[in-house]
Amino acid sequence: MKITDASVHPYPAGDSTLARMALEATELGFDSIVAIGGVGRPSTGLKVLQGVVIDAASQKDILRQVREPAVRRADVVFVNAGDTSFNRAVVAIKEVHVIRNIQATRRNAFDHVAARSAAEHGVGVDLSMAPIIQSRGTKRQKTLERYADILSLQRRYGFPLTISSGARSILDQRSVREVRGLCALFGMTGAEVSEAFASVDLLTEPKQPVRVIR
Amino acid sequence: MRTKRRYILVRVLPYGMAADPKRVYLSVIEAASSLLGDAVVGLAQPAVVFCDGGYAVVRCRRGTEKDIAAALATVTAIGNERAALRTVATSGTIHALRRRMKPIRPQNEAGEAVFGETYFSVYHYPHRKVDLVEKGIKHQKSLFFTEADLEER
Repeated sequence: MKITDASVHPYPAGDSTLARMALEATELGFDSIVAIGGVGRPSTGLKVLQGVVIDAASQKDILRQVREPAVRRADVVFVNAGDTSFNRAVVAIKEVHVIRNIQATRRNAFDHVAARSAAEHGVGVDLSMAPIIQSRGTKRQKTLERYADILSLQRRYGFPLTISSGARSILDQRSVREVRGLCALFGMTGAEVSEAFASVDLLTEPKQPVRVIR
Repeated sequence: MRTKRRYILVRVLPYGMAADPKRVYLSVIEAASSLLGDAVVGLAQPAVVFCDGGYAVVRCRRGTEKDIAAALATVTAIGNERAALRTVATSGTIHALRRRMKPIRPQNEAGEAVFGETYFSVYHYPHRKVDLVEKGIKHQKSLFFTEADLEER
């Protein structure tokens, strides 16, 4: 089972290069990372997937952006979450792998309808550790509350979850064990964390339907 | 009767940061109080008992080490400098943790690099890691590269 950090933002977006972040991720216990931006391929044995984030206002805008060559080349396509109708539409788009930034939306923006649709279409929901690590007070409390809500929906409908550090620096990266401790804050069990770490692989290479050959 | 304690060994990042124990303690307390609340932190009694060579040892009451380790992961600064505390090991004695400490020091003399109009001091560390620290008096920017990245520039 692969352990993947679902998004890091290397230099020039952050202060650490992709190679350095890959080196640190290896030491922290990860098998692969998804790099949003960044150039070059690290020489470590770690697998680096290219990710792209779509920030759109409407479904039409997303459909236009997923046809762009840069998005088509990417291994993982993320879309920033929006309001309820937007999220319901996003999870039904075939090219989208993961919906992210869910903690920044209103409480019911990702509801049971979107959850059921995400499970049917195999679209994941990203839980970023950055707001838990970096914010304080009510902002962090709201993030933990939102993640607990997402977790209860996930337990009911079974859509994939991904866990990302959202790191822009090696100082923002955390080890697998530390992430387990942080996820325990909103009630995620060790088994659920392991499953979430492995789900990027399943999203990018979904299981093919069984073919019966006679 | 003396309460049982647990000791958490943490690595202080970035490498080469001269972390003052008092500042580390204040960062730990701020992070723990913010995440867990005063009541939990009061019972856990966290304290920094050692801080040197890029490592720190945080003491807490037995049974609270998981909570304190989670709080340590939320430390983002020591004093005014950006930093991170990475948990290495937890033990019942400081002696056992000392065996896990492998001080990380620059491999050779600091070099110099220029990006645009900014001058950086270059420090090489094991595993071909390179830290660049902006030259200046305060609020210096740091960049984290590898030797291969530096050669490409």
